Amino acid sequence: MNELYSGLADIFEVDSSSIKPETRLEELGWDSLAMVSTLALFDEIYGKPVGVDKLKACQTIADIEALAAG
Amino acid sequence: MSNNGSVGSTVTISGARIAGVVACVPARVVDNQELTARFGDAVAQVTKMTGVIQRHIAAPDQTTADLCVAAAEVLLDKADVDRASIGAVIFISQTPDHRLPATACLLQDRLGLPTATAAFDVNLGCSAYPYGLWLASMMIASGGPQRVLLLVGDTISKIVHAEDRSTSLLFGDCGTATLIEADASVCATFLLGTDGSGGSNLIVPGGGFRTGTPADPRNPNPEDTLFMEGGEIFNFTLAAVPGLVDGLIEASGVAREDFDGFLFHQANGFMIKHLAKKAKLPSEKVPINIDRFGNTSSATIPLLLVTDYREQVVDGASAMLAMLGFGVGYSWAGCATRVGPLSAAELITA
Repeated sequence: MNELYSGLADIFEVDSSSIKPETRLEELGWDSLAMVSTLALFDEIYGKPVGVDKLKACQTIADIEALAAG
Repeated sequence: MSNNGSVGSTVTISGARIAGVVACVPARVVDNQELTARFGDAVAQVTKMTGVIQRHIAAPDQTTADLCVAAAEVLLDKADVDRASIGAVIFISQTPDHRLPATACLLQDRLGLPTATAAFDVNLGCSAYPYGLWLASMMIASGGPQRVLLLVGDTISKIVHAEDRSTSLLFGDCGTATLIEADASVCATFLLGTDGSGGSNLIVPGGGFRTGTPADPRNPNPEDTLFMEGGEIFNFTLAAVPGLVDGLIEASGVAREDFDGFLFHQANGFMIKHLAKKAKLPSEKVPINIDRFGNTSSATIPLLLVTDYREQVVDGASAMLAMLGFGVGYSWAGCATRVGPLSAAELITA
């Protein structure tokens, strides 16, 4: 999941040490732009789409990670 | 047409060429500095994704048709064609002058075209230009009109909700004119597809005749303004565009490396770069002008042709181009053809 974490750190413009499973997305600035960037990140890393509704329902980094596994 | 599964239908049409293209943008330029007064720091954030630094915005009394007329006047003058030889005029836009009559009818009169001219409107946005070339090519190949004037453009600034940063900061206005004429030596390959299940993700719900439907809970905007669910649109492009690129190249029979340029609809700078990378296209063959003009909806591809590929298609030069439109509808269309030498490839302001 390192690639996912470093990608999310780039999106939120924070140090990768700030990206932990329990980190709450609202603290990082989880807006529509971050969501589109995250869709692109999933496409790059996993080559698969993520439903926008599922992504919108995420509250923590762990929730996003679960989508990757799902 | 042959059916290529979910990617779309393809067809190659012989006998028509693009003779000239002129794009017209409004004189008024709105840069990000001006918009920062309204949206604050959000402008810088949004710009990182969209890549739009400035856009041209139509005056209150200036319509898409006005921009297309200005473009067509220069085009007909430069191409030096007899207006009586124009057999058809097609106006493709989502911002017509009126609900009725068709703007193309008014344009026949404004441009001094003969009453023998066929004229009609088509309602498409991002996929408009390849669609228009397809229509014009078919008409010419059928033995009908031997010259078609294709007028494509939009003034989306008039239908964005002023407070909606996702659209207010993205779109710009432009009208274009393209002359297509009979030429037995030229052929063009098209790919067209539609998935209306995504219609509600990029929509102006009001202003038509369907009333009494429940409001979309995702849409906070007034019903006569544009709503865009950016994430859904992005997912659509990820799913559709690589197939559009590959399907068009394959159907054209031209080797991938023999294309001189891939002119993408200028939807969003981040999106174009991502799609180009995903489709394994070299970035130097994927021009981007969204920084200077914003997303001009139906007009992006002909605008891009005259701003970033002009040298390759005038003064005896020609280029093998893939033109790729995708978005509102959802609708997508591609055209692969050799473009040039053109008698006009100009950008003007009005």
